[in-house]
Amino acid sequence: MPMYGDLGNKLVQHAKRTQNLTHLPPYQTELVRTVAREVRDLERDVTSMLEPFQGSFDPSAEQATACTLLVNHLSMRRDKRCLLAYHRTRTDKLEELVWNGYDILDLSGQQQAGGANGATGMNEGGTTSSLSPQEEDYVRQYGDLLAAYKGHWTDIDLTGSLEPPRDLFIDVRVLKDAGEIQTEYGAINLTKNSQFYVRQGDVERLIAQGYLQKLG
Amino acid sequence: MSYYDIDSILTDAEKIPCTFQLEIPELGYLDNQPGQPLKAGSKIALPLWLAEMLAIANTGGDDQAKSFVTFDLPAALSNEVVQALKADPRAVPLRDQSPHLYGLATHMMDLSEEQELGVVLRKTFVTRASEIALHARKVGGTGHNKGTADEGSNLGVGGAGEEFLRGLEEWERKLFRKAHDGAKAGKEWMENVKKR
Repeated sequence: MPMYGDLGNKLVQHAKRTQNLTHLPPYQTELVRTVAREVRDLERDVTSMLEPFQGSFDPSAEQATACTLLVNHLSMRRDKRCLLAYHRTRTDKLEELVWNGYDILDLSGQQQAGGANGATGMNEGGTTSSLSPQEEDYVRQYGDLLAAYKGHWTDIDLTGSLEPPRDLFIDVRVLKDAGEIQTEYGAINLTKNSQFYVRQGDVERLIAQGYLQKLG
Repeated sequence: MSYYDIDSILTDAEKIPCTFQLEIPELGYLDNQPGQPLKAGSKIALPLWLAEMLAIANTGGDDQAKSFVTFDLPAALSNEVVQALKADPRAVPLRDQSPHLYGLATHMMDLSEEQELGVVLRKTFVTRASEIALHARKVGGTGHNKGTADEGSNLGVGGAGEEFLRGLEEWERKLFRKAHDGAKAGKEWMENVKKR
């Protein structure tokens, strides 16, 4: 028995699954569109139902109509709540990811297999983004906001690791070509499969992004 | 229980048996008969988000104002289940009744006087919570080698508690996960302290 609100429920089930994942599953464009359309259909029904009354609708005289209106209204309200909760779950996740050091490029290229140790996405050549265009915009602007906020304290990296490092220098293996980086001790060229002994602070972000792997 | 709370939204999708009190021409689709009028006295399972308001709203006007629908307790909270819970709360797989059993019951108690239900469920939760804590600690404690540690994160499969843990409803699962993660984190911390 399909009824109003069923599709909204599907969205919320998606959101429920999203909560337990480390990556963000693809945006349910089609489902969101269908739920929004359902709301518009309901709204149209309400308008046409009220039309003959010319603004003088008396619920106690027209109980059956009043009940139908209430059902329609509640269905719209339910759909709205489902839509908002779905998007909110995703933006919460996105904010978390931005705080963890991902930027828009990591995220928009991200595929199903995000995994705990970073974005394995970034594949060259048209992987489809799991974000909606609006979400990409959100991440970009949220990233700017965070950068501006961090700018107040030049001595502290607010998104740095909370774990105090055991050693200042660590061995790393390069998993993906990451180009040249500048350190206090000069430039290092990070080519795939090479190993380096570097200062942890210099490469922390690259480790988080999955370019480097910490050894030992 | 915020507006955006996913579990609260899913709880609102739980269905309860309702009886319509008046004939409504437009709502036949609710009874799987679109185009037909919905007859007074039709019994339909409606989700909470719909049933709750339909039961509270009255038809207004005259003195004998009545609700659009009346409702009964869902099967998950039927007398049989309550009796089973009274006998032994740990023996009932709540999840099979409803994955949001406590939330559902809370809604039902808001809607009607169910004094006894509240008492039974409170006792149920307290009894099961200590059992949950017990299992959570057991799983966290055996996490010495890698195999069992992984199992631990997977909601404690294996072992004697498997059956009980499978029957946890959502709220209890959260409790289990918290207790388990807590025990595990505490243990890891202790081991780190020893190393230094």
